[in-house]
Amino acid sequence: MPRALIGARIRDRRRALGLTQARLAATLGISPSYLNLIENNKRRIGGLLLKRIADALEMPLEELDGAAERRLISDLEELTAETLLVDLHLDPARAADLAGRYPDWARALVRLQRAWRERGEIVAALSDRLNQDPFLGDAVRRVLDSVAAIRSSSEILDTVEDIEPVQRRRFVSIIADESRRLTDVAQALAAYFDRAHVGTRPITPAEEVDDFLFENDNYFPSLEAAAAELRAAIGLGDAAPERALADYLSKAHGVRLVVVPEHEAAASGPKDGFDPDAGTLVLADTTPGATRRFALARLAAALFEGGRPIEEVIERAPLLSSDAARRRARRALGSYLAAALLMPYDAFLEAARRSRYDIDYLAQRFDASFEQVCHRLVTLRRPGASGVPFGLMRIDPAGFLTKRFPLPHLPLPRHGNACPLWAGYAAFQTPGVTVRQLAAFPAGERFLFLARTVEKNRPAFTLPRRLLSIMLACDALHADQIVYADGLNLSSSAPATPVGSNCRLCVRRDCRYREEDPIIDA
Amino acid sequence: MTCVLIAEDEPHIVESLSFVLRREGYDVTAVGDGETALASVRRARPDVLILDVMLPKLNGFEVLKQIRRDAALNSLPVIVLTAKGQSQDRRLAEEIGVSRFMTKPFSNREVVEEVRRLTRR
Repeated sequence: MPRALIGARIRDRRRALGLTQARLAATLGISPSYLNLIENNKRRIGGLLLKRIADALEMPLEELDGAAERRLISDLEELTAETLLVDLHLDPARAADLAGRYPDWARALVRLQRAWRERGEIVAALSDRLNQDPFLGDAVRRVLDSVAAIRSSSEILDTVEDIEPVQRRRFVSIIADESRRLTDVAQALAAYFDRAHVGTRPITPAEEVDDFLFENDNYFPSLEAAAAELRAAIGLGDAAPERALADYLSKAHGVRLVVVPEHEAAASGPKDGFDPDAGTLVLADTTPGATRRFALARLAAALFEGGRPIEEVIERAPLLSSDAARRRARRALGSYLAAALLMPYDAFLEAARRSRYDIDYLAQRFDASFEQVCHRLVTLRRPGASGVPFGLMRIDPAGFLTKRFPLPHLPLPRHGNACPLWAGYAAFQTPGVTVRQLAAFPAGERFLFLARTVEKNRPAFTLPRRLLSIMLACDALHADQIVYADGLNLSSSAPATPVGSNCRLCVRRDCRYREEDPIIDA
Repeated sequence: MTCVLIAEDEPHIVESLSFVLRREGYDVTAVGDGETALASVRRARPDVLILDVMLPKLNGFEVLKQIRRDAALNSLPVIVLTAKGQSQDRRLAEEIGVSRFMTKPFSNREVVEEVRRLTRR
């Protein structure tokens, strides 16, 4: 709030309380003329005196000095960034007007936004929770076990004509026993659903793309085939891939690679550096080699046959319902094709197996970054020629998951943070060092986690360091094929770090690392 | 005589399966946990193993994995019984190498036919 309004507020409030200037001045221990100067905004006041005035006028200090209003304005500014409202192009600079003129309406908006967010989180958490609930998983297993015993025994009674009386009695009693067990499970299930109310999850474009990749096992045979064709068209071998890619782009598409100083690249043109009108791909002179090659490969992939291979995959994808989701998917598939181009499936799989999935080796062998190799490892899912199935996530320094490829048994949270015990977080403590971990989940699944931070290009000393953590995960059953598990005891009875998926969903009530209360008390 | 080893910790399922398979002329042995299952497979060399996924001590996947890793045992036909999260279990077991899946609740006839098919040489 503008300082100029403090005086007016003091005067309004004093009058509302029926106090004279002289009376209030006496209470405050100042002269009436000085109070008059304050009320007419001729004196700037703050600190202790302002606090004493607020007390004497029986009003909160933050109301008097405008702190409450400033907070309201910043809440409103945050609201303008809400994805739901993006198309309204709300101007954050107008938030102060709204808060000043209609403070109650502004507060109502902020309150609604908060409630809306909380609801969304609860719905998402509930649905995650149901998908991985150990109680539900166990109940289903017990139901199926009992039904299996009942079915088998009743078939015997039904079809075996010459059964001995003693055996007949035995199978009848098995059926009775199992029916009782079934009753118990059914009642427990009914009680469970009495407590937990299930909501449906609102799907965002990012989630649609996640689901789409997951549905396809993150493997796209038509793109692998397209990559092989494109590789042949480029004449891409192991030697000098960057030169070959640049030559191809120039010859086949008339696109020139232009390397400019960092500040020019940041200031000009689209984010990916490609300007179709000018026929240029602009990259900063600080871009690391692997990133530069990947940018060239991605452009070659996007332009290949007018984008047909990627469009065909997207057209066949019923899971992508919105334009925003299709746009994101197009980007993801463009990266997929680029990776397939630079790290051809068969050669990459062979090298991965031979090196026992040594990421450093693979990065050197294919002249790629750590992150690019991890991404490619996740796509080795060709039926009949698949590598170890990996999940992948990328974590930013604030703890949020910014990329996720889940495994069937390893649910990666869709929103916010994962379990603070995961190796992906520990990796931030020792940047650049690979951290490995044998992690045990509440329902008994075990995974090998391996994580390392990667440092994103920092173009200047004055800019903050930018670390991201990349974590790969594989089922502990496959870990013996991986160099990172060497020396670990992989048996299911060996010690492992007890982890969860994230605190809100976790059933480990007494975990000393818990940061948030569970959303359902089970 | 053809030997069938059942590794399953639900005694009632073991009882009815044993009854049905014995009537078909198989020699049936049963064990209730993963470690014993692995030891029995190594010692008694059954002709077919019926293996539940959720076994105590060593789970069914681990038993299967150890069997597939052992040159002397890796051709042993294994029928995996799954109950929970079927499609996921199926995927994991396929990755390790399974001969046949049976999803609970199965019918006796299915099991007998499968055992017969896998032991017919």
